Amino acid sequence: MLTKTHLISNGAFIDDTWVLLDDETPLGDTPAIISMDRLKAEADALRSRNAKLGVVIRTNTLGKTKLGEDVRELTPYLDMLSTIAIDFPVYRNGRGYSDARILREEMGFEGELRAIGEVLFDQWSFMARCGFNSFEIDASIPVETFKEALSELSEAYQPAVDNQRGVLWRRHGL
Amino acid sequence: MYRYDEFDHKIVTDRVNQFRGQINRRISGELSEDAFKPLRLMNGVYLQLHAYMLRVAIPYGTVSSKQMRMLAHIARKYDRGYGHFTTRQNIQYNWPALNRIPDLLEELASVEMHAIQTSGNCIRNVTADQYAGAIADEIEDPRIISEIIRQWSTFHPEFSYLPRKFKIAVTGHKNDRAAIKLHDIGIVIVRNDRGETGYEVHVGGGQGRSPFIAKKLTNFVPAEKLLAYLEAVMRVYNMLGRRDNSYKARIKILVHETGETEMRRLVDEEFKRIDTSQMLSLPEAELSRISAYFAPPNYETLPAQSKAFEAAKGSNAEFNHWVKTNLVPHKTPGYGIVNISLKPIGGIPGDATDVQMDVIADLAQRYALDEVRVTHEQNLVLPHVKLDEAKEVYDILFAHDLATPNIGLISDSIACPGLDYCNLANARSIPLAQEISTHFADLDKQYDIGELKIKISGCINACGHHHVGHIGILGVDKKGTEFYQISLGGSGDEQASLGDITGQAFTEDKVVDAVDTIVETYLNLRQPEERFLETYRRVGMSPFKEQLYAD
Repeated sequence: MLTKTHLISNGAFIDDTWVLLDDETPLGDTPAIISMDRLKAEADALRSRNAKLGVVIRTNTLGKTKLGEDVRELTPYLDMLSTIAIDFPVYRNGRGYSDARILREEMGFEGELRAIGEVLFDQWSFMARCGFNSFEIDASIPVETFKEALSELSEAYQPAVDNQRGVLWRRHGL
Repeated sequence: MYRYDEFDHKIVTDRVNQFRGQINRRISGELSEDAFKPLRLMNGVYLQLHAYMLRVAIPYGTVSSKQMRMLAHIARKYDRGYGHFTTRQNIQYNWPALNRIPDLLEELASVEMHAIQTSGNCIRNVTADQYAGAIADEIEDPRIISEIIRQWSTFHPEFSYLPRKFKIAVTGHKNDRAAIKLHDIGIVIVRNDRGETGYEVHVGGGQGRSPFIAKKLTNFVPAEKLLAYLEAVMRVYNMLGRRDNSYKARIKILVHETGETEMRRLVDEEFKRIDTSQMLSLPEAELSRISAYFAPPNYETLPAQSKAFEAAKGSNAEFNHWVKTNLVPHKTPGYGIVNISLKPIGGIPGDATDVQMDVIADLAQRYALDEVRVTHEQNLVLPHVKLDEAKEVYDILFAHDLATPNIGLISDSIACPGLDYCNLANARSIPLAQEISTHFADLDKQYDIGELKIKISGCINACGHHHVGHIGILGVDKKGTEFYQISLGGSGDEQASLGDITGQAFTEDKVVDAVDTIVETYLNLRQPEERFLETYRRVGMSPFKEQLYAD
């Protein structure tokens, strides 16, 4: 795990005003990211709370085969959420890319989609293509490096969240 | 053949520059070997027993003469004068220096080639029938949809960190030469009652530690919806595929554990969701644009029979043998499909020298409408040769040790690199293939035995396809000694089956004898015209077992 991170949101460093809470810590009046279990358990009370709410989707935590949580279970709570953080426990685990596209394309989530965990240089551009707009990355990385990574591959064949028309379509002006 | 436009060029060039940066960061120490690993793998660079190995993609096994000359040039300049054609229709170079790989890739890009996604847990290079466009009774040239899949899957942002690697194969013919039922996704091009062309999709086949034949999830997906369907399969896999154990991470395990019916339901549901947006509906114009590249070349109008060809067969027995095994009828009168065996007796299956590759490039240019194909059985094909000129082609091939008349015979075995190169292997494969082919060197004997496919893997990962060998041989390691397990009755074609293990494994010095015993048993039991596989399917394992373990 990375020790110190900073947050890039929509291409610039920003102060992270969010806190990631465990399930026992009481919720204050500041923006808080909580677990999916807590969101489901406390949904009614949370609806009347007066501060922004976020949820973290954990991958690789549950059950024998450790698949992770299902973002589609967020459907009833989507209107309550300003941010959704998706955890990449290791960079090799790419389940979160599908989570992101489902949230954006199928569920229509328009808030902050944040990549947390092992979020490395060579994954940023794919994450951005899948709909992430905020990235917790190693604090030693300058913003220029981040922008460079996103511009390395200038064309994409297939549609995704960032670009609805891949090369297969754009060749024909579609 | 497909030609790059400015988009394709840009994508490949960007990638070369990106990988150059990654290699520089690795050499400077900024990237650890662990962080560099998935990056080099996605660019085809493996760390093998002795050196880095580079695997170059040959999409659906088709190359032009210009590209083949480049492959020869790379063997000369960056390697030790040879390359190895693999069961994935790719070519591997065993000795390139890491710091020179970016230059190598730049040279490849100049002839519209790359090493993208030839390894790593992503969608790998798409494979297809090597006789595409040349064989009669094909529904559609499988390279059209293969090229579309190549483009769609290249740097797919959602599917580049899958639970495990992912292989797609396509056939457009009822005779499956691409082993589609042993791939993560196998596509068969079909035509429905209304005369429309579409795609039958099989999912969850594979070899390795737990071999499975793929399940047919749908009978018909129309062309414009195929990418949406494939994306649905991929998404179900990416969401539900196991990541806790790399041996259980392939989609075949997901299909097996989920069950065929439930898997079909999950894919159908995902397909409906994805298809709602129409975002992945392939434009008719793009399908036509890519199809045009695979339009039949300009064949001459020739009589079906060639006098020169018939005369040469009559006067030259060796040529006649070669025609019987290595030349396949072409859909166009007066043409033939020439198979070039990369299995000389006692040679290394799939290896070709730079000189041989140059010779093949020249032949393709002069005699075969500028095309060469790579087969998953590690041979090469000149797909469009005039029968009038077949003897000239043969003579040139013969002069370069490329005219071994053994396609489909016992000495045409396929073998993985094995312990001679690979750091996963338990046992050597290549020397065994060499011993077997030397043992059965006598051509008359080989013709008498007839079609018999031996496939040899040096470990359980089954790169040598032993599960689907008529005779399969698997290297296993027992307390530091190399043993070989033998299986019978496997097949990778449209009637795919997995081989049955004969029993206790054999030590290296007994394997050739065991194969000999199996062959003799078959010769004693066969009915007229019956091939090995048919005899085995008729009589079963018992008679073979009795002979093998008699004492």
